[in-house]
Amino acid sequence: MTEIFDDLEGMRAEFNDALSGTETPEALQQVKVLFLGKKGKLTSWLKNLGSLPPEERPRAGEAVNSLRDDFESRLADRRVFLEERQSSEVERRSGLDVTLPARGRTWGGIHPVAQLMHDVVEILAGLGFSVALGPEIEDDFHNFEALNIPASHPARDMQDTFYFPDGHLLRTHTSPVQVRSMLAHGAPLRIACPGKVYRKDSDPTHSPMFNQLEGLLVEKDISVADMKGCLEVLMEGIFARPLKARYRGSYFPFTEPSLELDIECVECSGKNPSCRICKGTGWLEVAGLGMVHPNVLRSGGIDPEVFNGFAWGIGLDRLAMLKYGLTDLRVLFDGNVPYLLSGRTFSC
Amino acid sequence: MLITWNLLKDILSIPASVEEVAERLTLTGCEVESLTRPGEKLRGIRIARVNSLRPHPEKETLWVAEMDDGRGTALVVTAAPNLSAGDYVPWGRPGAVLADGTVLGAKDFGSVHSEGMLLSAEELGVPQAADEFGILRLPEDAPLGEDAPSWLGLDDVVLDLSVTPNRGDLLSLLGVAREVYALFPGSEWKKNPADLPESGAKDWPVPFQGITLKTPGCSRYCLGFVTDLKGGSSPLRVRIALSLLGMRPISPMVDATNLAMLTLGQPTHAFDALRLPAPEITVRPSRPGEKFTTLDGKSHIMAEGDMLITSGDVPVGIAGVMGGENSEILPETKTVFIESASFDSLSVSRTSRRLGIPSEAAFRYARTVDRKMAPVALKYIFSLLEEWSAGTAGFAILDRTDCPDDDRRTVPLTREKLGKVLLTDDLDEASAILNRLGIIEKSSSPEGRIFSVPSWRPDISIEEDLLEEVGRIRGYNETLAPRLPRVLYGRGDIGPVTRLKGDLRKILLSRGYVELLNYSFLSPSFISLLRLPEEDRRARPLSLANPLSAEQSKMRTTLLPGLLRGVERSVLAGWRTGIRVFELGRVFLPLPEGGHEEVEKVAGVVYGGRDGRLPWGHSEEEDFFSLKGDVLTLGESRGICLDFLRGHEPFGHEGQTARILSAGRDGGYLLRLKPAVEKELDCAPLYAFEFDLGILENPVLPNFRELTPYPPVLRDISLFVPADSSVDEVISRIRSSGGDLLQDVRLFDIYSGKGVPEGFRSLAFSLSYQKKDQTLKDEAVEEIHSTIRNTLTSFGYILR
Repeated sequence: MTEIFDDLEGMRAEFNDALSGTETPEALQQVKVLFLGKKGKLTSWLKNLGSLPPEERPRAGEAVNSLRDDFESRLADRRVFLEERQSSEVERRSGLDVTLPARGRTWGGIHPVAQLMHDVVEILAGLGFSVALGPEIEDDFHNFEALNIPASHPARDMQDTFYFPDGHLLRTHTSPVQVRSMLAHGAPLRIACPGKVYRKDSDPTHSPMFNQLEGLLVEKDISVADMKGCLEVLMEGIFARPLKARYRGSYFPFTEPSLELDIECVECSGKNPSCRICKGTGWLEVAGLGMVHPNVLRSGGIDPEVFNGFAWGIGLDRLAMLKYGLTDLRVLFDGNVPYLLSGRTFSC
Repeated sequence: MLITWNLLKDILSIPASVEEVAERLTLTGCEVESLTRPGEKLRGIRIARVNSLRPHPEKETLWVAEMDDGRGTALVVTAAPNLSAGDYVPWGRPGAVLADGTVLGAKDFGSVHSEGMLLSAEELGVPQAADEFGILRLPEDAPLGEDAPSWLGLDDVVLDLSVTPNRGDLLSLLGVAREVYALFPGSEWKKNPADLPESGAKDWPVPFQGITLKTPGCSRYCLGFVTDLKGGSSPLRVRIALSLLGMRPISPMVDATNLAMLTLGQPTHAFDALRLPAPEITVRPSRPGEKFTTLDGKSHIMAEGDMLITSGDVPVGIAGVMGGENSEILPETKTVFIESASFDSLSVSRTSRRLGIPSEAAFRYARTVDRKMAPVALKYIFSLLEEWSAGTAGFAILDRTDCPDDDRRTVPLTREKLGKVLLTDDLDEASAILNRLGIIEKSSSPEGRIFSVPSWRPDISIEEDLLEEVGRIRGYNETLAPRLPRVLYGRGDIGPVTRLKGDLRKILLSRGYVELLNYSFLSPSFISLLRLPEEDRRARPLSLANPLSAEQSKMRTTLLPGLLRGVERSVLAGWRTGIRVFELGRVFLPLPEGGHEEVEKVAGVVYGGRDGRLPWGHSEEEDFFSLKGDVLTLGESRGICLDFLRGHEPFGHEGQTARILSAGRDGGYLLRLKPAVEKELDCAPLYAFEFDLGILENPVLPNFRELTPYPPVLRDISLFVPADSSVDEVISRIRSSGGDLLQDVRLFDIYSGKGVPEGFRSLAFSLSYQKKDQTLKDEAVEEIHSTIRNTLTSFGYILR
């Protein structure tokens, strides 16, 4: 009786040897036939079970069947192993150079000034400001008169203007949109007015067309402190970090009091006396602002004894240059694709 | 506006450094753009006497001077022709440093060993102070051996102030002194330059009929009289001071008027008394067309509203702008009338700008000049001329005034507004600040105070103006801690246009387009390049009246030129591969009934590049349909299905131009450029699209079908269709005969050539049928499918 089991153990060892030697599905099939085929070793063993004494048959049968199950499962495992190994080799042989350039279109870019404009209106929307837009070709009333800039006022020298033969003009700031919004909506009002503006000026730091964003808030009991708060949230939003702010007295015909906002130099934070961005002053002039002049509120149909507020203007081009480290204003408008793409963080 | 620190300190004692004063001026609204120290580099230059002077023994053009600076003598060789023995001059011994940083040494000129240099005004950094060619000769009272730069006043600091247009009062030394007095409570007046003794009252020794004012634009006109004018030049230190203040010294008379203007802010003008046409002055409006030649020799034609100074009805000056050639003082002039007047700022500003004469006088009048300064400036000039012994004054001032002196205007300041805007209720502090500015409290109540405003501050007229004075001097940094407005009235809305533009930017970015931002101007040459016919309103752009250049003289009517220029620019910049650019912006179109409209557009241009080679072969090449995909995507992002129809553009390829439609509205074009245009641009092929943003304005919300578990049944149809039948036409015929069960029609194959009848092309469609509440039976599909096939046959299509 024990001999049977010794024989079975011998066959198991033989099977193990044969199986571990298989390297292809074909060899595996041969092993299967050798042991489990019609004339296979285990099969013939099964056939011999009948020659055993009846009392030994159940145990011997159990042992043989168990050995067959084991062989079958081991054959299946080996098959999966060999197939996967073969597939891996095929995959490896057809491997790609993943460093090849991408297929399709990967070169797009949003203009830095447009990107900044979207960023700014998002920040301002969070403060309750809605975007207001208006015409770029304006009339004298909306661009000057309504903003407390009478004809021949020396303040007009500050804004050299392009005119059309019929007396219309290219707006010199987006302030006319403020006037139009006040007339259309009255107070309370919080608006942000992005857009192109034009001045007759062209040199390395002035372009005849540039992009401005003005804000206007007209509500009740508004103080200079409210204005400072909004501007500082805005600047922190633009540069994604808190920056020191400095306010200076200034003059604009449409605000009283008028101020200018400087922020700490984004390049050197005031640490480099020969900084090319702040010229060593440590400060960058970024916004003109002030409490809306009562005459302007009146032009907008708003009673300055009931409502007051503030307005500001920022140059999107200059801020974009500061944010993205651009040095020449004119390249923003000259259509040079390589340049516009060169500022990106990746290359191809 | 230049002032110097030493001149300011002559007027005020200031308990602060020049840097502190500059910082404080800047923060309170008068930006100090620079501080310069003209004598900064000068070292080791002393006042020395020329003991003797003899020609150089060998070199003909040179002189040898024996110099004495009180510390010994030495020889110096000089080429200057203006020296004589006994002159006092600045001498730099070896080791001395000049204004430009040059370090002097000793040098042999032939047999003479020369110790350093005798110096000219230029070498001291003030070339304009020279009144003769050569070495700068010093007056006889120059103290031997002293440091020449400091004795000359070169150890000064020049402040360059940027004065805002509302603060004409700061365009003088006196005005800046008043401001500094207010900014530094510890400062005190030393000598106010406007405090002058009464001038003489002698009668004029010439007959003079008087002054007549015939225009409200001149409210005060003073005339002074000076005889025995000396020619020559002003004292050296005056010339140096003028140089530091940015003025060229000319003659004592002119220098005195300039100094009066720089010190008191009052422009004046001197007429040659003998050349004045008549013994009287009349200020009157100009007559249209009247001609006048200013003292710079330029002739001008007057317009209505200009103000002229006339004498015997002959113009002798444009009021507040510039005097005339006909009565200008000459080097030999001995007797002068000096005008010191008050002219209306708007009138002077208008005339000066129209005539293009930005004179110092006009600049100041445009920013208003203190009316009270008119006679003071004359007294100041008299005192200078007498001090310099350059003329005889002491005559009475003729003072013609049209209206009583502007008595001090009053402006209130209330506790309520002070609290609202500046968050303080300290009226006492406010009053103290205003008081130092010369704005004096007149009366007080618990609600507020009333202040009277001095004549030199016409910019202050309402309460907000006082708030500004208090706010800026209290400082906006130390006070008013930032906070957010406490009431929020509603959410902020970016608005449909800005939101749409943001969406389109992101889509075009992901489709490989680079955004350009072009000028809104149009070069007229593009109208012919694009072959726009006259009846096309894009060929009739709005023209600027005062363009910077012809290139920028029109307003764009299409975004295409800017994008094409961008492609050109990029190719020039060395970009060789494919270029996809887009722009979002406005065009300006004339309206048939007159006027114009501004239309928001989106446009794109695609160029395969000078070097279109790709590792992927041709599959990546751009063509009409790759751009069509881009345009469709823009529509799809809004839920809008754009349609394309064969169409026309003057600059479009006649076989590859489509109109873009949204719900039947023509919004623009998609095209390949006309080969001739491509040739002119030397880029081919070029594809472009441009359409009104308006067609994407109203997004269409998705309309979802009911979810059905029953699968669609697919059937194909292959057809030969006449070559001039569009795919859209075939699909719409399939759809209109397909009934409710037909869900989708998709073109999957297109072929022409072998096996296709002449004049036809082969199209193959996959049709999908579906019923939402049950599985479609084959018979039902068959029935519809054959209906479709029959219908198509009836249109002359051939089933395959």
